[in-house]
Amino acid sequence: MVAFFIWLAINFVKTPADTTNVFFIGLSNGCVYALVALGYTLVYGILELINFAHGDVFMLGGMISVSIAQSFGLSAGDAMLWPLVVVVLLLSMVACGAINTTIEAVAYRPLRSAPRLAPLITAIGVSFILEDVGLIWKGPNYVNFPDVMPHSNLVSFAGVNVQWDKVIMLSITVPVLLLLLYLVQETRQGKAMRATAQDMDASAIMGIDVNRTISFTFLIAGTLAGAAGLLYSLYFQTVRFDQGFQLGLIAFTAAVLGGIGNLPGAVLGALVIGLIQAFNEGLQWHAPGSDWTQSIVFSILILILVFRPEGLLGERTPEGG
Amino acid sequence: MSSENGSAPMGSGTAVKTAEAVLEVHDIHTYYGSIHALKGISLEVRAGEIVTLLGANGAGKTTTLRSINGLNRPRSGSIKFEGRDITQTPAHEIVRRGIAQSPEGRRLFPRMTVVENLEMGAFQRNDKAGIKEDMERVFGLFPRLAERKTQNAGTMSGGEQQMCAIGRALMARPKLLLLDEPSLGLAPIFVEKIFEIVKTINDEGVAILLVEQNALMALDHADRGYVLETGRIVLSDSAEALKTNEQVRKTYLGES
Repeated sequence: MVAFFIWLAINFVKTPADTTNVFFIGLSNGCVYALVALGYTLVYGILELINFAHGDVFMLGGMISVSIAQSFGLSAGDAMLWPLVVVVLLLSMVACGAINTTIEAVAYRPLRSAPRLAPLITAIGVSFILEDVGLIWKGPNYVNFPDVMPHSNLVSFAGVNVQWDKVIMLSITVPVLLLLLYLVQETRQGKAMRATAQDMDASAIMGIDVNRTISFTFLIAGTLAGAAGLLYSLYFQTVRFDQGFQLGLIAFTAAVLGGIGNLPGAVLGALVIGLIQAFNEGLQWHAPGSDWTQSIVFSILILILVFRPEGLLGERTPEGG
Repeated sequence: MSSENGSAPMGSGTAVKTAEAVLEVHDIHTYYGSIHALKGISLEVRAGEIVTLLGANGAGKTTTLRSINGLNRPRSGSIKFEGRDITQTPAHEIVRRGIAQSPEGRRLFPRMTVVENLEMGAFQRNDKAGIKEDMERVFGLFPRLAERKTQNAGTMSGGEQQMCAIGRALMARPKLLLLDEPSLGLAPIFVEKIFEIVKTINDEGVAILLVEQNALMALDHADRGYVLETGRIVLSDSAEALKTNEQVRKTYLGES
């Protein structure tokens, strides 16, 4: 840890502008990870199920966004560009929410009282099915999303450039996160979610419709994945059938890093991983480079599981999780 | 006076209060997986009554309550509440009809505060003023809870948790309250207190179906009782009669 911060500080002293730029890249990546990581953590919190199919719902979100964007004929400089992007965002969110809810009803609900391994294996199966759907739908190659993000600088000062695309990433992610937090903390449905996560039977005898609450949780997780799907394709301009697997694993690591089941933890974990990845790939002085990104991310996962299994913000519970 | 499978057992001299039945359970059979846990249970609770279920561990007391509140549906038989069939009604609907429960092991929401737990008890209600009023009433019954409003329920002592669980059930403003082992694991002073409060709640017009290991305490406070053995009702009578019943004295009141 200390070594990491010293290394970061030296980099900052050597190349202050680059380091700051890289910081913003990390923040933007972290936003996408956060939206996906929240889906893992929401579902785990309520069912104690690692929904391996979640990354692939995100991938489908990307593909849906590409299809809609192409049919709208999105192009940079269009006067209606941003309203249309918002429409694509909403459509992708709705579609992914519906997909995720359907997955729960079809694949997980019948296994509600089965041993925990059964839904876990099912989740892996669903993940493969979704990947194949993506493969058949869009083929094995990268599909291009129209390049509409403005890459010009919003702020440029002493070599520090804050580009529009990063600002846009943040300005979509932050409201979505705040809305989610409000939903879970303040609304009736959110209270039902928290109660169901803590004790399903007790929730039922309080008058909470447990099945509906679980459906709702998958709906929320799906809409977040849909938002992430659009943001990712908007930012990187490419979509491929297997992107959900890798990003899903990274997002899952982020959720574990923050403390699985803990919403602010998932966001924190995602930002940390986004930043570490960006520093690793973007800094000049003694950075391991992008070849090592995966190794670093999963080393972090192993280290957390060994030394702090409850995550950065998780609580120690009697079950040890 | 004993009753096997079949119609509702009405032991002689049971009519302590002659009101109409709020809850009628008729010949239910409930399974846990392949285990035949209830083999034809019939019982009734009349308005204003405290009825207790006695029996050893595994006799089917908790399963009976779980059949009534909808968590374990009976495979056959019927359950009627206020004359309406609720056998197939989902658990979250049943509380709306007026049956609330303080379950075995309390089952509070450990990472919610006392106030939040009580609010969850009123989840299916919309009358804000009434909920506030009932919360004050619960704090009146259990001043200890008022001192711990903002404490997480999981961090309280067993007795406090039990109070919170009963309070949470009352927040549903039930007509019938199911209490599962309210005295389990509590210090004697708390046991006395809990039973006093059960009586107070009953005096306010709530019918109570009480499952209790502490048979003496239960019979002291109940109007009638049923004795369960391996999924069957083997005895039913007024609490007074049960207390003097030789079999009950031997098995449940610890006399040789």
